[in-house]
Amino acid sequence: MRRRLAFVTALLVAWAAFGFGVNRLLESRKSNLTEARSTVAPPQEAPVFSLPGTIWVSQGGHLYRLHGGQFTDVRLPTAPGTWIQPAVAGGGRLLAVARAAEYSDVYLIDASGTPHQLTRNATTTSHVEFNAWSYWPHLAADGTTVIFAYDGPKIGTFEVHLAVWSGPLNGKLESTQWTSPSQYTGGDVAPVPLPDGGVIYASYSINSNEQIVSQIANVARPGATPALLTAASDDCNAPAVSPDGSELAVICTSDTQTARLEVIPLVKGVPGPPRVLVPSCLCASPAFSPDGASLLYLAPSDASGHFQLWWIDRVTAATPAAPRALTARLDLDATSPPAWAPA
Amino acid sequence: MAGIAFGFIVSGMTGTALYFSPAIAAAFQDFGHTIHHQPVVARRPAVGATATPVSAAPAATSTPVTGSSFTVLLLGSDNDAKFATNQVLTQSMILARVDPVSRHVTMISIPRDLDVPLSTGGTDKIDKAYLYGGVDAAISTVEQDFGVHVDHYAWIGLLGLVHLIDQVGGVDVVASNPVLDDFYPQDLSGSHPYLYERVAVLPGPQHMDGMEALQYVRSRHDDLRSDFGRSFRQQQVLLALRAKAKLLGLADLPDIANAMSGQFSTDMSLGEVGQLLPIAGNVSLTNVQQVVLLPPYTAGQTINNQDVLVPNWDLILPLVHKYFPAT
Repeated sequence: MRRRLAFVTALLVAWAAFGFGVNRLLESRKSNLTEARSTVAPPQEAPVFSLPGTIWVSQGGHLYRLHGGQFTDVRLPTAPGTWIQPAVAGGGRLLAVARAAEYSDVYLIDASGTPHQLTRNATTTSHVEFNAWSYWPHLAADGTTVIFAYDGPKIGTFEVHLAVWSGPLNGKLESTQWTSPSQYTGGDVAPVPLPDGGVIYASYSINSNEQIVSQIANVARPGATPALLTAASDDCNAPAVSPDGSELAVICTSDTQTARLEVIPLVKGVPGPPRVLVPSCLCASPAFSPDGASLLYLAPSDASGHFQLWWIDRVTAATPAAPRALTARLDLDATSPPAWAPA
Repeated sequence: MAGIAFGFIVSGMTGTALYFSPAIAAAFQDFGHTIHHQPVVARRPAVGATATPVSAAPAATSTPVTGSSFTVLLLGSDNDAKFATNQVLTQSMILARVDPVSRHVTMISIPRDLDVPLSTGGTDKIDKAYLYGGVDAAISTVEQDFGVHVDHYAWIGLLGLVHLIDQVGGVDVVASNPVLDDFYPQDLSGSHPYLYERVAVLPGPQHMDGMEALQYVRSRHDDLRSDFGRSFRQQQVLLALRAKAKLLGLADLPDIANAMSGQFSTDMSLGEVGQLLPIAGNVSLTNVQQVVLLPPYTAGQTINNQDVLVPNWDLILPLVHKYFPAT
């Protein structure tokens, strides 16, 4: 009797275990896209190789510093918002954007890591539309002027467009409007100062097919007529300029959902023939090395779609280039170009 | 021995049934709805004239999703606090023709403001067909006005789209321009459905979660093309979801069903949707034809104090019937 009871008990346990095992087997067959590749915070990631200098990136609203083959959290206060779009400002300083729910402000982060607010875009009224956005700050070649994109002042319509603005680092940042964007397109974005004092940016407009496309433009001074450096059909954005101003890196999509990374030589501001470094990718936000010889950009390395850091050595070498993934498990903000300072 | 083996079979089936229980529940709740095609009436009745049926409705049989080409109407609604359940506007209507064999897909976005005769009577914006008569009215309105037969439909609510995108781990999208909106509805994130919030989706390739993708496809105030711009963006996100579909398997269905519970309905069975996933995933981008009914196919007008789009049927119908068989 006891043996029979033990047998039945064992059988019941075996059946239950089998049923549970089948259930877990099915669970294990899930694609697990949500947890795909289990992204990690940058300090938990060991870069595949080391690059000279210091690189800043944004992930999950935090800025991280990559130096000597190791990521560290810059540890900025979270109260102003999520931290994005770092840019080198010299002397160990950074410009960056803190984005709140309905506005964003430019900050200068000093060498000790303390942020100083440069714009005040939060409205004091109850009207949300009187908040403003500021994005993509960069320090101009004169070392005292900040170039950035800004959507103010408000005109009380549905229209919200970014334009290129500038102002002194130690004064009112929204001082000078450089560009007059096309209406209801999103406007002029991602300005990058040139060594000669001009600014290169991505300008959105509507083409004859009613598609909004972007062209890279070069404006010599505030209010000047911009020179278009790329064709509307190429739909290029996210410009990055080498420190000497001789090379322009852009992401072009030709109004499709795939992109290509191109480098365009610039001779006195005049574009030469583009060279396609990466022909088909979901690549974003290129940034030159301090010596202008190599290039970083962001792109997924697998189907999870999380953006990683990629590096191309010798920008002027034969095309297509042979990019190398520096990271594999990060989830970098694709709209925040890396900032790269010399050691 | 047979009894012991039978016990293992039963326990294995129990484990399987428990695993798929959300999908099974969804199969009853959200899948397999019947389409009640209404009689097709004459399109564009003259002013004052009575619309008359021109043909009987096609039999309510639907083309299987794995056989020959079929037509599916994709509907997206702001099923938010502004409306009673199942009495919502369709913010998005995409008529898609799928050829499972050649793996070609054609998508035509029907503007929500298109001023058309509704199957429920009268003329109004096409997004109101669903409001007045549910999915059957939306389908019948499209069938009568565009002269096509809709084999299947899939309706998804705003939260359903958000949850679906989050469930598949986000979507990879090339944001075609900065999408800025100072008057974006705060119906999903705020306490009052009629309040507004600001959104800014920055341009370029990026990985979007569900809420970001929704902002990208839903915003329209700062786009000169208004609803047309939104239609372009909706098709982009739909294609991005297609790319994720190829990574999904049968074992993912319970999580997806859970995520979309109550926010999704279709006449297709769960099995048919499961069969569609690999087909969708294997469709090459080059085999996807995207159409948006821009001017001169439509023209903006103000009728009865409403901004509407007046269809140019002489141009629209030949275009539609180039890809969709006429009824």
